[in-house]
Order: sequence, then structure tokens, then C-alpha cells
Amino acid sequence: MNNIRNKYAIVGVGESKRSKNSGVTPLHLALDAARAAIADAGLEAKDIDGFMSYSENDSCTPHQVATYLGVRPGVVKEILGGGSSTELLIADAIGLIETGQAKTVLIYRAMNGRSGMRMGGGGWSTDLLQNAFDGGSFLIPYGAGSPGQWFGLFATRHMHLNGLTQEHLGHVCTSFYEHAQRNPNAFFYGKPLTLEDYMQTAHLSSPFTKHDFCLESDEANAIIVTSTERAKDCKSTPVKIMGMAARQTVSHAHYWKNLDEVASDYVAPELYKAAGISPEDIDVASIYDCFSWVVLRQLEAYGLAPKGEVGDFVAAGNLRLNGKLPTNTAGGMLSEGYTHGMNNVLEIVRQVRHEYAGTNRQVENCEIGICTGWAGPDIAGAMILSK
Amino acid sequence: MSEETKVKYDKPIPLKTIDNTPYWDAADRHELALQKCETCNSYNHPPGPSCSNCGSVDVIWKNHGSDIQGTVYSYVVSYRPFLPGFQNDIPLVIAVVELTDLPEVKIMGNILNGNAENVTIGKAVKMVWEDVTEDRAVPQWKLA
Repeated sequence: MNNIRNKYAIVGVGESKRSKNSGVTPLHLALDAARAAIADAGLEAKDIDGFMSYSENDSCTPHQVATYLGVRPGVVKEILGGGSSTELLIADAIGLIETGQAKTVLIYRAMNGRSGMRMGGGGWSTDLLQNAFDGGSFLIPYGAGSPGQWFGLFATRHMHLNGLTQEHLGHVCTSFYEHAQRNPNAFFYGKPLTLEDYMQTAHLSSPFTKHDFCLESDEANAIIVTSTERAKDCKSTPVKIMGMAARQTVSHAHYWKNLDEVASDYVAPELYKAAGISPEDIDVASIYDCFSWVVLRQLEAYGLAPKGEVGDFVAAGNLRLNGKLPTNTAGGMLSEGYTHGMNNVLEIVRQVRHEYAGTNRQVENCEIGICTGWAGPDIAGAMILSK
Repeated sequence: MSEETKVKYDKPIPLKTIDNTPYWDAADRHELALQKCETCNSYNHPPGPSCSNCGSVDVIWKNHGSDIQGTVYSYVVSYRPFLPGFQNDIPLVIAVVELTDLPEVKIMGNILNGNAENVTIGKAVKMVWEDVTEDRAVPQWKLA
């Protein structure tokens, strides 16, 4: 992948209104986000010749979005997937542009994640769930139907082996909630969280309290990818993709067989090789945060904090705006909103562009940002961006 | 003429599929059967249409009887029912257990006499079988 370093850029980002009950279909949300991203880039809809999306069968098709923007693109593509799918689709978009099959690609995630189909579950037939994923018959009869429980199994063991505590999870939550207090569009704007309050919050499913679970929201996000050359025609400041990497499997087939490795462990070395930088070069981060612990595990995987010292790293305030690695600076999925990671992509683009310059939200002098995705222990993708 | 003496089982009953039926049939007899690959000698759990380690189709089922010991590899304690049927089982301990004789195999279950205070990683457990209908039984764990 070295040959694509800095050859492609994110030139537009946009979002729909964020709510708990949009009152409209995901298609309406997607169109709002797409129009916002197109305007942000200073493009016209007809300039987009590729439309892509990911979903969990809870969205609208890229064909529909193109249609109702009045565009007849060459490429539409949709994949099933959650976390890390943004990174996977950006890689696909680059492949299409690199091979001349597309010029400018819009990628979106649109969902009524609160008022429609909820990732946290509810209302699904348990027989359907047993068939929905490999090995489901060995999970569902035991009440293990929520990602909070599946990831909790990883968290309990990893925390036990690495000296991580409830307080360390709390530092992730309180850091992100603090960011949300500067973001009027965050769900938890105006709802700060102290470590004391966190520590008094009961577990929903150990080791997670309600604060450790991500939000559910109705919203759509969109980004536009094109070549750095073509980015010169856009009005926005392009954010260059220095490198990216993804991984869809770990060494064993079934993820509860070995809780000690995750896909991010495999992504990290490929990512830094592709970008040609080291973890210490990174100024700002968007770390996939479906659960607080997932952030700790990725800080370790991506070498952003030394293994065994991740707890100390977050307790020292390093995820906060004045810390060593300001992370999820719009509040993340724990306190801003939830689009399977894409809202974190929008934020890292805005930080690296210095879009918040002159406000209390800008990470001063940030040049290089990392953005990670995590669909589960077995699926991860990440990219490194620069101005 | 059957007497309704038994409390109705509201929780999901394991679905038998083309790939896992020998496992659940053994469970109904209060035994543990595991899929084993004759090519690479690894055990596959959960089982599948071929070996999940090497891809070989030469997989067999091995009966390991009814004396199954293990230790807690990881666990969570859930304080709300995330699935229908578990509303009377709160708090619910869900554990992944490493088999003492086959550490490569990890089997999920509830620790029936477990709670947030007495379950820790490494704790010894033994497999028990819960009769959930007249002809179905579900493997579970109890603190040894």
C-alpha cells in the first residue's frame, strides 16, 4: 500500500440532524448527510460517481441515495458491517479510483439506531439470533445476546491480566464526556460525568455500566474521498490518507477460543508501515468506542500507550484535550452519537483540518491523526490522516 | 394426561443444526461430545462443517462422558435480561470455561450457583446438565 501514501484525501464531511427519534427514514437522513458533505467539499452532486454504504440491514441503498440526489453514478456498493466498515470502504474507494473505475466517492452510514433497529438488541426472535451468526446456538441459550456481554468477556479477562480497573474504564468515559461538553451537538452536551459519579453507577453487565456502553442515535454521516490531485478543485482543506490497513480474521476461527488477541493487534504494524510513521508521531485520535474497554485495548494494540501502562495513561488525563493524545474530541460514541464509527471519522477530519481553530475544541498544532475501527475482536480497520 | 408440574422453560433452547446436532444430542444424554479433526488433531468448538483450524473434512465426534471439569477463563455478570426468557435469572453469570483436559476448548455457559462475589478467573467449575424439556438438556456450569 506504500504507493498510495498521501495520494488520496477526504475532501468532504457532513451529517444529518442527530436525534433519538428522527421521524424520517434512513434515506432522508442519508440525503441530508450527503448534501452536507458535498457542500462542505464545494462539489456538486454530479461530481460524485461512486456511492457506498454499510449497514446491518437497517438503512437505505447507495442506489437510492444517488437516485434522489439526481445522480446516475458508475459505481454503487453496499456491504454488511458495523465498526471499521468506513475504513474498509475508503480502501475500496481508493482501489476504484486508483484503477480508473471512479473519480470521487461518497461513503455514508445512515440509521435510525435508536427509534428503528437497535444494535443493543430488543425485539428479535431468539431462534433467529441463534442462526444469525456462526455458533449462535452456543451463545443465545445462555443469555449472551448483547455486544456488551460479548465484549465484556474480553474485557474481564484482559483487565484481570493487565491490572486494569473500573476506574480506568471511568477515565475513558469521563474524558469523552468532557469533550462532549464543548460540542453542542453531542447527546451528552450539558451532562458532564465525574469519576465519582461514574464509580457509583451500577453495572448493566460487568464490567460495564451504562456509561461504558455507546449511545444509540438516529443519524447519518457522510464523507467524500477523491485523489489528492482532484482535491485541489475542492473548496475544503483536504485531509490526506497517509496509510490504512484492515484485518478480517484472527488466528483462530472462533473468537471466544482465545480472548488474548484481537484483529487490531494485526492491523497496527501494517498501518504504521503503510503510513511511514510511528505511534509517537500521532497528535490526535479517534478510537472506536462502542465500549469504554475497547478504547483501552486499542491504545495497547496500536502502541499509543505501552502495554501494561494503558490504565496509567488514561488516568493521567492523556485522552483529554490537553493530554498527550486527545481522543474522540467530539465525545465519541460514548457521549456524542453513534453511527458505527463514522461520527468519529468526521471529527478526526475536522481536527486535522484545524476547522475548530480559534475555539476551545481545537487540538492545537495537530498534524497527524489516527482513526480506528473495531467491529469485534476479529474485525478491525484503521487509517492515519494528515493535513 | 400429563401433569403440569414442571415450570415452563422460557429461555431459548439450543437449535440443532446440520453441524452441531451430535453436540446437543450428547447434551440431551448428559454427556459432552466434541468435534475433533483427524487431520490436524485439533478440537473444534463450536463445531462446523469442516475443521476450523485446517479446513479438513475429516472430522469426527468424540464422546468425553459426563465428568467434565474446567476453570473460568472469563465471565460477565449481567444485571438485566438482554434476551427474552432471562428476566428471572438476574443477575446472570455467563462464563467461558477452559476445559481442564483440553485447554484449547472453551465452552460458554451460565454458572448456576455463581455470583459477582464467588466467581473469579481461574475458579474451578464442573459441567452439569439442566433438563429443560422432556427430551432436551442444556450443559451448564457449577462451582466445583
